[in-house]
Amino acid sequence: MPSAMPEIAVASLYQRYLVTRHTGRAVRLSVEGLVAELGATSLTVLDFGDVAVIDFSCADEVVAKLVLRAVDEETESSECFFLFRGVAQHHVDPMDSALRRRGLAAAAQGPKGEPFLIGDVEPAASRLWLAVCQAGAARLDDLAPELGMDEGDCGRILDRMCARRLLRRDGQAYHSLFYTFAEAERAGNE
Amino acid sequence: MSRVIEVPDVLDHKGFEGLLRALNGATEGEPARLLFNAKHVRWTSPYGLIGLLAAGRVARERTGLAPSIEAPENREVRSYWERMDFWQVAPEVYDVEPQATRPHGSSDALLEITPIRSHHDVHAVVERVRERAATILLNKLHYPRPSVIQFSVLLSEVCQNIIEHAEADGWVCAQTYKYRERLGGRDVVMLAVMDVGIGFEGSLSSEHSRRHGERWSAGMALERALLHGESRHRDPGRGQGLQAIRRQVDRWEGELAIRSGDAMIASPTQEWGDLEPMSTGLEIFPGAQILVVMPARLEKD
Repeated sequence: MPSAMPEIAVASLYQRYLVTRHTGRAVRLSVEGLVAELGATSLTVLDFGDVAVIDFSCADEVVAKLVLRAVDEETESSECFFLFRGVAQHHVDPMDSALRRRGLAAAAQGPKGEPFLIGDVEPAASRLWLAVCQAGAARLDDLAPELGMDEGDCGRILDRMCARRLLRRDGQAYHSLFYTFAEAERAGNE
Repeated sequence: MSRVIEVPDVLDHKGFEGLLRALNGATEGEPARLLFNAKHVRWTSPYGLIGLLAAGRVARERTGLAPSIEAPENREVRSYWERMDFWQVAPEVYDVEPQATRPHGSSDALLEITPIRSHHDVHAVVERVRERAATILLNKLHYPRPSVIQFSVLLSEVCQNIIEHAEADGWVCAQTYKYRERLGGRDVVMLAVMDVGIGFEGSLSSEHSRRHGERWSAGMALERALLHGESRHRDPGRGQGLQAIRRQVDRWEGELAIRSGDAMIASPTQEWGDLEPMSTGLEIFPGAQILVVMPARLEKD
């Protein structure tokens, strides 16, 4: 399904210590408030660059529940995407565990800008996702031969990743969230 | 006239069981004021020290009277109790004179006894302990740098267990030791967290007891929580904290034990330790009592 260029926002997490479920709930509500002010299609970046500690309970409240809502609340006219930036190795374990327990995954970027997926993802999906990230935007008929995949299988995996809010589809092209963010920024969708 | 409870001379997790036997015996029959006689205590672990607070709190609840306590005669033990701020916290439980509070961090303790009543306390503990934890974990235990953050996460999750599941206040404390007998003088960090709330059996029963029928017990509740990540909530995001703690302690080749009701589960356990994977038929005691032992690495990387 083609989607409009999303409105983008960068959410501050306010806390160096993202610990306790109570704190996580407060942070999530504040991010949800920010998302509610954006258009029907939105991409929100959560920057973990200043987060010294995130525990498992807080990761569930902030990361897993935001992604869960984005996946569950998909409608014909609205799509919410989340991108987690500045995710260091010490953030990964709690975030990954929280996402896996709910069968979810999320797009992340390390402190040096390297893209990676966290959570529950098949290796084939992970390879495809990285290929899309490298290209920025790519079509099925480019991706399948490049990765030596059957076109039908490749298309199903890509569409599933769009439904899981790991990629964004625009017509025949699949866009990485990093590319989408850069494009939206260029278009002044802030 | 007070009934006297003799505090075991070695007040660790085993001594705590003796203390509970004495407590349960002393609170049978007509309620009477209790005196905890700790004069002969020769050694106390963090688990034993906050265990004394937990036992005192239960004594107070059962008798309706604040128990009194005799301080240890042994100078080292007395000094340790002081350094761990025992006498600052004791007036909440025992009939003792309030002591002037001193700033945390003025002793050599990794974490002095700290009451946990809300998420604010968990934040405070995690933020306060970070520098000291870094010094101890890196220099004494020779753990890699990421362990400092992992310890903060562990601390946060064990303390949250009180807030999320106990429906009562609790305490946390941690200290380093040399394990002379078992580990040839290697340093260990010992962390203890306790409450006297509803315990694991109480917390999980509404969701799980019907499924297990008559087999439902404190031991089974501990097993479901620690080994299977179950909690009283149906939400699949809940219950991961204890499993995460267990994985982390396993990576550090340490030990984790949780006592609740009349059972204690330990996982992981180590050859040098004395914890059984599961002990049942212990003295009944409310709440949850958690022990974490983290040994120094043998060689620096």
